[in-house]
Amino acid sequence: MEKARPLWANPLQFVFACISYAVGLGNVWRFPYLCQMYGGGDFLVPYVIMLIVEGMPLLYLELAVGQRMRQGSIGAWRTISPYLGGVGLASVVVSFFLSTYYNIINAWAFWYLFHSFQDPLPWSVCPLNGNRTGYNEECETASSTQYFWYRKTLNIAPSIQDSGGVQWEQALCLILAWLVVYLCILRGTESTGKVVYFTALLPYCVLVIYLVRGLTLHGATNGLAYMFTPKLEQLANPKAWINAATQIFFSLGLGFGSLIAFASYNQPSTNCQKHAIIVSLVNSSTSIFASIVTFSIYGFKATFNYESCLNKVILLLTNSFDLEDGFLTASNLEQVKGYLASAFPSRYSEVLPQMKNCSLESELATAVQGTGLSFIVYTEAIKNMAASQLWSVLYFFMLLMLGIGSMLGNTAAILTPLTDSKLISSHLPKEAISGLVCLVNCAIGLVFTTEAGNYWFDIFNDYAATLPLLLIVLVEIIAVCYVFGLRRFESDLKAMTGRTLNWYWKAMWAGVSPLLIISLFVFYLSDYILTGTLQYQAWDASQGQLVTKDYPLYALAVIGLLVAASTMCIPLVALGTFIVRCLKRGDTAPMA
Amino acid sequence: ISHVLVCNVTQRVSFWFVVTDPSKNHTLPAVEVQSAIRMNRNRINSAFFLNDQTLEFLKIPSTLAPPSDPSVPIWIIIFGVIFCIVIVAVMLLILSGIRQRRRMSKGPTEVDDSEDKCENTITIENGIPCDPLDTKGGHINDAFLTEDERLTPL
Repeated sequence: MEKARPLWANPLQFVFACISYAVGLGNVWRFPYLCQMYGGGDFLVPYVIMLIVEGMPLLYLELAVGQRMRQGSIGAWRTISPYLGGVGLASVVVSFFLSTYYNIINAWAFWYLFHSFQDPLPWSVCPLNGNRTGYNEECETASSTQYFWYRKTLNIAPSIQDSGGVQWEQALCLILAWLVVYLCILRGTESTGKVVYFTALLPYCVLVIYLVRGLTLHGATNGLAYMFTPKLEQLANPKAWINAATQIFFSLGLGFGSLIAFASYNQPSTNCQKHAIIVSLVNSSTSIFASIVTFSIYGFKATFNYESCLNKVILLLTNSFDLEDGFLTASNLEQVKGYLASAFPSRYSEVLPQMKNCSLESELATAVQGTGLSFIVYTEAIKNMAASQLWSVLYFFMLLMLGIGSMLGNTAAILTPLTDSKLISSHLPKEAISGLVCLVNCAIGLVFTTEAGNYWFDIFNDYAATLPLLLIVLVEIIAVCYVFGLRRFESDLKAMTGRTLNWYWKAMWAGVSPLLIISLFVFYLSDYILTGTLQYQAWDASQGQLVTKDYPLYALAVIGLLVAASTMCIPLVALGTFIVRCLKRGDTAPMA
Repeated sequence: ISHVLVCNVTQRVSFWFVVTDPSKNHTLPAVEVQSAIRMNRNRINSAFFLNDQTLEFLKIPSTLAPPSDPSVPIWIIIFGVIFCIVIVAVMLLILSGIRQRRRMSKGPTEVDDSEDKCENTITIENGIPCDPLDTKGGHINDAFLTEDERLTPL
C-alpha cells in the first residue's frame, strides 16, 4: 500500500497558504506605483475588470487542476497529456529561477531589520568625511537613505561589468534567509501549514497599524488626494489596461506551479471555486489597502520634504538679508521674495541660484516602485516619524513575512514534483531533498551578493518570469480546454466536488482568457523587439543618481538563456515523448 | 571682557569682535584666534548656553562629532541570536523526523495505519466526519463490510 499523500490539516490552512503566496511584495511595491502612473482612482476600473475576466478564471483553473490530479505540476500535466509534461517542467524551471533571486530580498529585509535597533537609525544620518568637517560626499549629493541602500547595503559597483567580490554581510543574511525558509518547508505541509497562519495574518496586522499611523501623519491627506484624483484620460491609454492585466496575472502567481502544488494537498471534495474567488478578492483588496497606506506615507514624506525645503529657503534669505528671525514664514514667503527682488536686486540675484524651487507636486510625483520604494522612500518617511525604530522594525518584519510567504509557495512548486517522483523520494527523505534544494539555491544566490549583484537581480526580476509565464499559462489553458477536453474536465470536477461548473467559467476558459493572454504575449514581444537594445539603471556615485547604461553582450546572452531555458522545455519534452513513443511502437511492432 | 571690543552690531544677534593683547596692546591675528576658537569651541558654546547649531563662527567649520561606533556592531549581535535560534529549531525538527522514521521502521503495519490516520485528521464536511477513504486508493469500503458477511459462501 502506497503512503498516503500528506494533506492540509484543514481547508483554512490551504486558503492561508494561497493568500500568503499570492499576497507578496508586489502588492506593496508595484500596485501603488501603477495606481499613481495610470490615473489614481481610475486605475481601479481596468484592474477590477481584469480581475473578474482574467484573474479569477485562471486561478480557479490552476486550483482545480491541482486538486483533480493530486500531483505536482510535472505529474499533473503529464496526466493531462503525456506530451505536455514539458509545461510542468517549464513551471519548475521558472520557479527555480524565481526562488534563486527572490530570497535576496528577504536577506535585505533581514539586514534592515537588524539595523533598526539603533538610535539614530543608520540611514537617517550621513557618515562624516575624512577630516570630519562635513558629511561624506556621496551621501551629500544623494540622500542618506539612498547612500545607506546603495553604499552600505549593496556596495554597488558602477556597472554590471565590475563584479567585485561577495559581500560577507549580505551573504550571511542570505544564508539566514535560506535557513528560515528551510525551517518552514522542512516537514512539508505539516510545517508549512502552521507557518502560513503567521505569514498570512501578521502582514495585515502591521498594515492596519500603519494605516492608523499613516492617516494621522501630517500631510497624509496630500498624498491620498494626489493618488485618488482620477485622471480620466488614462482610461483610454492601452498601457493602463495592459498593466492592469499584467499586474493581476503576476500578482496571483499563476503558472509557477505553486498553486497546483498547494491544491494537490487538498481533500478532493474541497470547494476550490469558493477558495479561488476568496483568494483573488483578498489579494486585490490587499493591494488597494496597501496603496492607501503607501500614499499616506508618500504624502507625509512629500510634505516633510517640501516644508524643510521651504525652511532652508527662509534661512538662506534671513541670513543673506539680515532679516529678523521669524519674520519670514511659509505664507508670506512669495510676497517677501518679490519685495526683496525689487528692493535689493543685485544681492537677490546673487542669492537666487542657491534658492531651490520648492514644489509639493514634484515631491509627490516621484513615482517609485520595487526595491527603491521599500528601501529608500519608505525608510526616508520612517526616519522622520516619532519612535522611528519601532516603525522600522514593524515595517521590515512585515516585508519579511510577505517575502517568506511567497518563498514557501515557490519552494513548494519545486519540491512537490521532486517528492512526487518515485525515483528521487525512494532514495532520499523529504528533509534531505528540501535541504539540497535550499543549498543549491543559496549557492547560486551568492551571485546577487556581489557588488554588481543588484544588476543581476534586476535582470532576473525583469526577464526570468515575464514571457515564459505567459506562454506557460496559455499552453495550460489550451491543454485543459482543448487537449484534455472541457467537457471531460467539467464532469471530473463534478464527480470530485459535487458541484456543476458555472457557464461563466467555461466561457472564460474556452474563449476570453486565452485571447487576453495571447494579446499580452504579443504586446510584450513587440515591446521587446521595438525597444532594440536592453538597458539598465546603474548607480553613479559621483552624481548621486541613477544613469542608464546598455547591457553588455554576455548579459544579453544570460537573458536569452533565462527565457529559453523555461520556454524550450515545452516543445522539447513533447518532441522527446513523441520520439520515445515512436521507438516503443517500433519495438513492439515486430512482436505483434 | 575688558580686552574684547564689540563693533558693527546688527539686528540679529551677530557681531564682529577682535581680541587684544593687554601686554603688547595690539590685536591678535585672525589665524591665532580662529585656531584657539576651534580648540575651545565647547567652552565658548557652554559659556553662552548655546551649541554648534545656534552659535556660528563664520569661516570656522565646526568639526562634527562622529556617530558612536560600538566595538561590535549591534546588527551582528541580533543576527547571531536569530541565527542560533533558527539552527536549533532546524536541528530539533530534523532529529524528531529521524526519530519518527525509526519508530515507523520498527513497527511497520499497525503503526503505518495509525500514522496514516494521524496525518489525515478526520475532516468534517457538513457535520459528518468523512474518513479519507479515497486516499487509500480504492480499497474495501467499510460501509459495505456487513453486507459481505451476510452472504453465505457457497
